[in-house]
Amino acid sequence: MIPVTLRVTLIIAVCFYFIFILHYLKNKMLELKYTLIWLAAGFVMILLIAFPELLMTFVAVFGIESNMNGLYILVFAFVITTLMTLTSIVSRQNLKIRILIQELSIMEKRIRELESMEQGKN
Amino acid sequence: MLRTLIIIPAYNEEGSIEKVVNNLIEKFPKYDYLVINDGSTDHTQSICNSNKYQVVNLAINMGIGGAVQTGYRYAWDNHYDIAVQIDGDGQHDVSYLEEMIRPIEEGQADIVIGSRFLEKEGFQSTRIRRVGINFLSFLGKLLTGVRVKDITSGYRVVNTKFIRIFALDYPADYPEPEAMVIAAVHGGRIKEYPVIMRERKAGESSITMKKSIYYMCKVTLAMIIRRISFGVRR
Repeated sequence: MIPVTLRVTLIIAVCFYFIFILHYLKNKMLELKYTLIWLAAGFVMILLIAFPELLMTFVAVFGIESNMNGLYILVFAFVITTLMTLTSIVSRQNLKIRILIQELSIMEKRIRELESMEQGKN
Repeated sequence: MLRTLIIIPAYNEEGSIEKVVNNLIEKFPKYDYLVINDGSTDHTQSICNSNKYQVVNLAINMGIGGAVQTGYRYAWDNHYDIAVQIDGDGQHDVSYLEEMIRPIEEGQADIVIGSRFLEKEGFQSTRIRRVGINFLSFLGKLLTGVRVKDITSGYRVVNTKFIRIFALDYPADYPEPEAMVIAAVHGGRIKEYPVIMRERKAGESSITMKKSIYYMCKVTLAMIIRRISFGVRR
């Protein structure tokens, strides 16, 4: 069983966590699309605090020693998932930047040629 | 008459680019060429400008893969039938060009690779590098069933089909072996043509000894992942 004091602490922490994310979202410092994984992590935390039996089942099913360890494993899993999501976002942006540089540079060549043709006319 | 574009990626090649391009213009006026200046920090750009070369100046250095892909993109945009890739450092002898392009013009091959190892003449690279190249070549055969002896050669000729494929999807760094896997899984008919390569005259190889281990790991993984992501299609 998770001690009541810990449950209260966790609830307060998760509340701050949500306020923090909402604050960023409100000020458009985060794009909603990229915060979905963060929000999902928060909801799972709330679920686990509200219904500790879920955590017990999880711990029992996977043969984890104690409840706290189970919680750590869950948190760790979320951090890893979030990091992978971030890497994937960076990679996709990298690809887009690459295409942008290439198109831009090819266009620069065309502009240079058009300019020299203009100069030739005058 | 099929239109041919020669792509010359150049990163800090002020010592050789003039000779390479002038030689091309003189010997092959029938082919178009395009220098891809990959964000050089030396005088490559000013040399190209003052000689009025056909040049695309990449706004940011992208590495050899990104530079070559720019060439393919340009070739596709401008409806070229054949694209040739040669290095800007003067390693590749252009006197083989017509012979290398012929199988593609005649429709006998989709890709022709200039290979150092078919007749084992000229600059053969260092022993340790040959071992690495042999391993990658073997890996390529294992993954795709196609054996390319000089799988790291950057001296290549491709037809429209692969101009399109490479314009859309070309590996970023150390691209040559991975590009061969792409070609093979797309059913490309790959031919090797024996060439003699010179030792580079100026500039530096993009692969120093320090980077070779990273290179081997990265390329091996990249080839395997390429093959897997194509599934069982051949």
